[in-house]
Amino acid sequence: MDGLIRQFRVAYATTNGEQLAETLNPDVHAHSAKFRAIWGRGDHRSMTADLNFLFHQDQARLSIRLSKEETSGWYAIYAVYWKAIGEILAVEGLRNDSKVGRFTDDGISIAEPMIHGVPLPSPLRQITRFRANQTKSSWAKVYDAWKELTLLVVRGYTNHDFENWTIPCLYVTGKHLRLYAMRADAERGLSNDNSAIDDLQDDFDPQAEENKCLEDCARHLNRIFQICASDRAPLEESRKWGVYYAVNLLFKTYFKLNSEPLSKNILRVISAGRSDIPPIDKFPKSQQVTFKYYEGVLAFLEENYVEAEKHLEMAWLMCHKDAQRNLELILTYLIPCRLLTTHTLPSARLLEPFPRLQKLFTPLARAIKKSDLRAFDIALRDGEDEFIKRRVYLTLERGRDIVLRNLLRKVFIAGGFEEAKDGAAPVRRTRIPITEFTAAVQISSGEAIDSDEVECLMANMIYKNLMKGYIAHERGTVVLSKSGAFPGTKV
Amino acid sequence: MSTPDQQQQQKFDWPQSVRNYVQRTFQASNEIPGVGREEKESRLKEIIRSEQERGTMFSTNWDEMPLPQQLIQKERQQALMAAVDPTTTQPKPHSSATNSKKRKSSDFSESKQTNGSTVPWRSTKALSLEDRVSKPATDKRSLMDGPLTGKSKLQKYVEKRQRRGDGGYQSSYRSPSPPLSSGPIVGLNTTLEKRYLRLTAAPKPEDVRPEGVLHHTLDLLKKKWRKENNYNYICDQFKSLRQDLTVQHIRNEFTVSVYEIHARIALEKGDLGEYNQCQTQLRALYRAGIKGNPIEFKAYRILYFIHTANRTALNDAIADLTTAEKEEPPVKHALNVRSALALGNYHKFFQLYLDVPNMGAYLMDMFIKRERLAALANMCKAFKPELKLRYVTEELAFESDAEAAQFIIDYDQELLQERGDHIVFLTGKAGQTFENARAQAFRRVDLKGQI
Repeated sequence: MDGLIRQFRVAYATTNGEQLAETLNPDVHAHSAKFRAIWGRGDHRSMTADLNFLFHQDQARLSIRLSKEETSGWYAIYAVYWKAIGEILAVEGLRNDSKVGRFTDDGISIAEPMIHGVPLPSPLRQITRFRANQTKSSWAKVYDAWKELTLLVVRGYTNHDFENWTIPCLYVTGKHLRLYAMRADAERGLSNDNSAIDDLQDDFDPQAEENKCLEDCARHLNRIFQICASDRAPLEESRKWGVYYAVNLLFKTYFKLNSEPLSKNILRVISAGRSDIPPIDKFPKSQQVTFKYYEGVLAFLEENYVEAEKHLEMAWLMCHKDAQRNLELILTYLIPCRLLTTHTLPSARLLEPFPRLQKLFTPLARAIKKSDLRAFDIALRDGEDEFIKRRVYLTLERGRDIVLRNLLRKVFIAGGFEEAKDGAAPVRRTRIPITEFTAAVQISSGEAIDSDEVECLMANMIYKNLMKGYIAHERGTVVLSKSGAFPGTKV
Repeated sequence: MSTPDQQQQQKFDWPQSVRNYVQRTFQASNEIPGVGREEKESRLKEIIRSEQERGTMFSTNWDEMPLPQQLIQKERQQALMAAVDPTTTQPKPHSSATNSKKRKSSDFSESKQTNGSTVPWRSTKALSLEDRVSKPATDKRSLMDGPLTGKSKLQKYVEKRQRRGDGGYQSSYRSPSPPLSSGPIVGLNTTLEKRYLRLTAAPKPEDVRPEGVLHHTLDLLKKKWRKENNYNYICDQFKSLRQDLTVQHIRNEFTVSVYEIHARIALEKGDLGEYNQCQTQLRALYRAGIKGNPIEFKAYRILYFIHTANRTALNDAIADLTTAEKEEPPVKHALNVRSALALGNYHKFFQLYLDVPNMGAYLMDMFIKRERLAALANMCKAFKPELKLRYVTEELAFESDAEAAQFIIDYDQELLQERGDHIVFLTGKAGQTFENARAQAFRRVDLKGQI
């Protein structure tokens, strides 16, 4: 506890938000010794005594000035943080104060429960042990403890005058709340515990069952978003600077919960308050990239590909070059977008650093280039599971139109030129029998197809402006435009 | 008696015992403070109605029947007691009832105050060990629920609530979050039919039918549906049947068959709201590995999301399928419908419409009109200058030329023309007619029943 509070003081003295947030970062794996030391023997009294001393009696060593309000806020936060640490250590099997969790005996000696060098009287130690034995560790408990912490941190801003430089703390707590919520849900899913069914429902609510903690978490994250977005203090002191921290966490949560409408709501709130929320380019790049990515994916899922392309491209350009995974995610949506908006295919060089994307997109791209319907269908089917998972299947499927367009274009070119009259420039043959197209589609797709269906496919090409002209059904021919029969392909 | 008009309207000769019962209800000597007249009246009506429905008006011993105000009072007490763990003699706070967020938050602010300022006699600079160690115990309430602190206070709180319960403490009745029961209840009711009522409080075992009875109920409902075909009645009965299953946590093959049958009936009647509720449940039940007809219903699910144009849900529905399931004819059909529409292949789409497995045609009927409009918009742009009506009839799977003609005429009477032995559809003159109709039809995707 000592070390933690020392760190807290340093951060406070220098008003370093990141450093302050670091004191609340429960990364027990990277620093297991440190956290075990904080937890000690899990003795609640010694912890509060420590905190009391550090916050109230140790004023002489306090190089910082904390108001009474702030002091009580932070005091409460560290007390609950300590409890949460105990739960985390327990569930990770790193706790060795009692029979909770697995024992880890890796030689790190934990001191007797002591307060400043004086051992605790034995009755208190017994109580400690008793408390520890009562419980069985679980992620649900970690989640509950961490939720308590999150509530207190939020309250720090509403009730305890926390200043805006401390907002990274909100982020750190929110971020972990989400992680623990997902673990708690997964844990419950495994144990198949149905005890919490709401008896007042007429039916079960399977969705809510599955993601109970995460939905609860979304509410708390939304609260964080609210206290940031609704702050009316002048911009220099405003919590509005925490808005994108919160929004990005919310997006992640809502996506996991499969509820895009809620994400759209957030976007609406932001664009409504855009006048007084600082412009996004004033925020750290990492936040900008995440936000733009989600904004793009949301537009993508609404089939608004032009808008999606704009946001995703911004994210792509700003993303750190070493953030491979993020770049890959952005491309997963940007490539299908481009395919539909500008009919552009990804180059081999672009895909080179991303073997997974290479595997997914290269066969499709090759089929489109070669106007090979069969190869396209196979590529789509082979990647189906992954495409569905990434929710790009329904978009990529439309690439078949491009394959078909390329194929029909080939037929048109193969048709050659009409005989030129009076020395004028030769004109392409624009009246083409349906049978020629039918033959081409049959060869390319490897399946029998009747002329009615081919006409239907060509009607689509015309309807979608991929091909200019009309079908003369009675005569069984297609009459293509003399100028630019296939817009955008120089033919 | 007190309301003779009402009684005449119902053409019901009420037994004297009931009249006496009503009289007793409103006798001044039977008043219970805290139970209002309105509450009493509505409960009274409820009691008489249920007796009437059950047909036990004459057989019930009305003299022994507790008065409405007594029932209300008893329920309130039960609600309070349920908030208290019944197993311990010393009332212990029930976690969900007393540890509400609200209470916690007030506790916290209290504790901070005590922590923030030390009591005067503790403000000495040098603290002795004993002082340091014992200090938290003297705090009114420690930050966390320590083993020793807080309990007595909560006890008082509960006791206070109970005392108030005797005097008709009103606000705890029908509180927004009723106490959670400790486990599934087991029903005791043996009547086969039961009207559906939305639950507003924890259900009582005497109102709930156990699974054995529900099996008979299902048989009865199936028979009645075949004979009477009264959807309002059937839907209501199925909803109460589902409710009884839910409150008893019954999730087995019987549950699946109840939802499947209700889903099929709802489909047949075009009640998509109810259908969707069943479908959501079925998805969860199948996922839990309970047997039923997943292939049939997974196919419906795809068609349903095509209808509601819900891309996300459609994507999820496909993600739910295994490779083997994708090859099953009904699922394969639904997937083909989807891809035909995605690619604008109306030719294939209408062929699929002519041959739908199971009851999928009811679902396809829901969106066939808008897809016809889409196809016509398409044709009008691509085919010039005209098309034989017969071609439209065949391509768009109309039953006859007359039906096709009517469909077109509903939008524009000028588009058909007689040519000797046949009628032509003047695609070149249609302009934006069908394009506009299409846009409107798709904007109006009926989302009823979407949760």
